[in-house]
Amino acid sequence: MDWGQLPQQLVNGVQLGAVYALIALGYTMVYGVLRLINFAHGDIYMVGAYFAYYTAMVWFNRMTMNPYVMLIAMLLIAMVGCAILGVIIERLAYRPLRNAPRISVLITAVGVSLFLEYTGRLIFQTSPQPSIVEEVNVLAKPIHFAGITIQQSQLAVLGVTLVLMTGLWIFVTKTTMGRAMRAVSHDFATASLMGVNVDRVVVVTFVIGSSLAGAAGMMNATAFGQPLQPFIGLIPGVKAFVAAVLGGIGNIPGAVVGGLIMGCAEVLVVWAGYAGYRDAVAFVILIVILLFRPGGLFGSTADKV
Amino acid sequence: MSLFSAAMALSLAACSGCSGGGGTDNPAPSGGGAAGGTAAAPGRELPTAEGNKAEGDTIKIGLISSLSGDNQPWGEDSKNGAQLAVDEFNAAGGVNGKMIELKVEDTASKPESGKSATEKLVGEDKVLAVIGEVASGITIPAAQVCQENSVPIVAVGATRVDITQKGGAIFRACFTDNFQGAAMAKFAYEDLKLRNVAVMTDRKLPYSTGLSDVFKEAFEFFGGKIATEEFYESGGNMDFKAQLTNIKSKNPDGMFCSGYFTEVGPIARQREQVGLNVPMFGGDGWDSTQLINSGGTGIQGQYFLNHYHNSEQRAEVQDFVKKFQAKYNHPPATAMGALGYDATNVVLTALKASGATDSKSLITAIAGVKDMKGVSGSITIGADGNAQKPALVLQVGKTEFKPVKQIPFFVFESKKK
Repeated sequence: MDWGQLPQQLVNGVQLGAVYALIALGYTMVYGVLRLINFAHGDIYMVGAYFAYYTAMVWFNRMTMNPYVMLIAMLLIAMVGCAILGVIIERLAYRPLRNAPRISVLITAVGVSLFLEYTGRLIFQTSPQPSIVEEVNVLAKPIHFAGITIQQSQLAVLGVTLVLMTGLWIFVTKTTMGRAMRAVSHDFATASLMGVNVDRVVVVTFVIGSSLAGAAGMMNATAFGQPLQPFIGLIPGVKAFVAAVLGGIGNIPGAVVGGLIMGCAEVLVVWAGYAGYRDAVAFVILIVILLFRPGGLFGSTADKV
Repeated sequence: MSLFSAAMALSLAACSGCSGGGGTDNPAPSGGGAAGGTAAAPGRELPTAEGNKAEGDTIKIGLISSLSGDNQPWGEDSKNGAQLAVDEFNAAGGVNGKMIELKVEDTASKPESGKSATEKLVGEDKVLAVIGEVASGITIPAAQVCQENSVPIVAVGATRVDITQKGGAIFRACFTDNFQGAAMAKFAYEDLKLRNVAVMTDRKLPYSTGLSDVFKEAFEFFGGKIATEEFYESGGNMDFKAQLTNIKSKNPDGMFCSGYFTEVGPIARQREQVGLNVPMFGGDGWDSTQLINSGGTGIQGQYFLNHYHNSEQRAEVQDFVKKFQAKYNHPPATAMGALGYDATNVVLTALKASGATDSKSLITAIAGVKDMKGVSGSITIGADGNAQKPALVLQVGKTEFKPVKQIPFFVFESKKK
C-alpha cells in the first residue's frame, strides 16, 4: 500500500465508477417507473460498444472526418442505436406483459439478455474480437498534474458522464415529461387515471436509460481498447445493478453515488494489494449497507429489494 | 534437484533476422535430471482402462479446439493445421489402406466445454487419439478424461508444466513453461538488460500463474529482482489501471505479462494512461494480431516468446506456410496453426510406425516418436511426454510480429514442486 498513489488511484476509481453510474442510471430509471429489473441492460451496453466500433471503422477507413467530430458521431450513433433497441425491447418483450405477475417480466428480462448475448455470439463467433483502434482516440495524450497522470480521454469520459447526468437531472426535475415520469414512478395506476400517458413515459424511460448505457459502452470501448465480444456487458451490468441497489434502486442520485462508491471501492481494494477480492468487495459493501439501510443509501425504506 | 540440470541445444536451423546463439552458456551444470528426456518422469502411469478400438474403414481421431470465444484465433488455426495434416496423410495413402477421419469439437474457450467435448469424442465417437487444446486450462480436464479412458492426448499449445505429469497418456507438441519462463527471464536479463521487473499475472489462467512462477524463479536465478507482482482475473473486468498504478509506484525497469493477448492488449494501452513507460514482455499467450489492435502504441516494440515464425527460412516452415496458404487462402495467423499441424503429425507418425488399431497401443507408439521434423522444430517425445524445441523471441510491430532472437532449448528445473 503506497499512500503517495492514493490520489491517482482515486482518479482511476472515479473514472471506473462514472461508467458504472451511467449504466446504473438505466437500471434505476426502469425500475422506478416499471418496478422491473431490466437484466438486458448490460447487453445494451455491449451493443453500444459495437455501434461505436462499426461507426469508427466505416469512417476511420475513409479518413474523411475530423477525429473529434468522429468521436462525437460515435457517441451519438451508439446512443441513438441503443435508444432504438431499448424501445424495440420494451415494445416486443415487456409491454405485452405489463399486467402480468412481476416474476414473469423478470424472467422475460433474463430471456432478452440471453437473446442479445447469444444472437451476438451467433453473428460474431467465428470472427476475431475487434477493438476500436487507438488512432481513433485522438484524446489519448496524458496530462500530468500534481503527481497524477490522467489522459484526456479519461477526462472526456468524466466530462461526458457529468453532462449526461446533469441533463438527466434537469429533465426529470424541470420538465413536464419529467414530472409525468415521477408521477408514474410514484403510482402507476393513479398517474394513468390522472391523464398521464404512461406508455409514452415508459418509452421515454427506455430511450433515456438505453442511450446512457450506449454512451457508457462507447466510452469504455474507446478509452480502454477492450476487445469486443458479445458477453462484455455481463460483468459491468451486474456491477451497475449492484450500484443501483446500493444507492437505492429507483433513485437517480443514488445510482450515481452507488456507481462512484463501487468504482472507488474496487480500485482501492486493488491498491491495498487484494486484487483477488476486487469483485467481492462490491457485494460486501452491498450486504453491509442493506443490513443497516434496507432501501439502499438514498432509497425509501418502503422499497426493499 | 539441481536448478539447471543441463544445458542443451537441439539442432537449430538459422532463421532470418535471428541472431541465433550457441545457447550452452548456462551456469550450474548437471546433477542428473530430465535432459534429453531419458529419465522416467514421476507420476506418468499408463492408464489401465480398455481404450478404444478402430472399427470400419476409417480411423477416427478427435480434435478439441477453441472455435469460439476468447481464444478463437488460436482455435481456428489449430483446426486448420490439424485438417491439413490429416488431408496430406490421407492423400499419401493413409495407414494400412485405412483413411483418417478428423472429428472436431468446439471447446468455446471454456474448460467445462472442453471436458464435455472430450467426453463426446472419447465416449461416442470412439476416437483413437485426441489432439488439443491450445490452452492449458482447457487441456487439464480434457487430459484427465483421456487418461481415464486410455486414449492418448497430444496437446497443441498447453505449456503449463504439470500437465504431462498427470498421466502416461498425455503428451504435447509444444515446449513447457519451465523452458518458456526461463527463456524469457534470460532474454530480459541478458538482452533487454532489465534488473528489476514487475509481473502481471492472470490468476484465473493456470497457464499464466504457472508461467509467472517459473519466470520469477528464473529471473532471480539469473540475478534480477522481482519488484512486485500484481494480479487480475480475465473474463470480465478490463480495467487494469489500479494494478498498473501500483506497479508504477515500485519503479520497475520492465514488466512481464504472462496472460493472454485478450487482456495484455488493454493492459498495454492502459499502462500509457498511468504513465508506466517501461518495456513489456511475455509468453506465447500474446500470439495474435488482435494484440496490436487492442494494445495500440502501448504494445508496439514490446517482446514475447513464440514457437516459430512464418518468415523462418527452414524448409519445413516454408513448405507448411505454402500449403496452408494454398488450402485456406491466408497464411496461419498464429503459431497454433503449425502446432496443430505438428501435434496431428505426432499422432499420425506414431500410427503409421506402429500400425496400432487401438488407443492403448497408440499411447506407447506416441511415447516413442523421435526426431520428427515438425514445423515448429524437431520433435522428440521424451519419457516426460514433452517436446523439446527452441523458442523464438518476437517483437510487436505496427501490423505484424518480427523475429528478433532464437533461444535454444535448455533445461530449467523449478526448485518448487
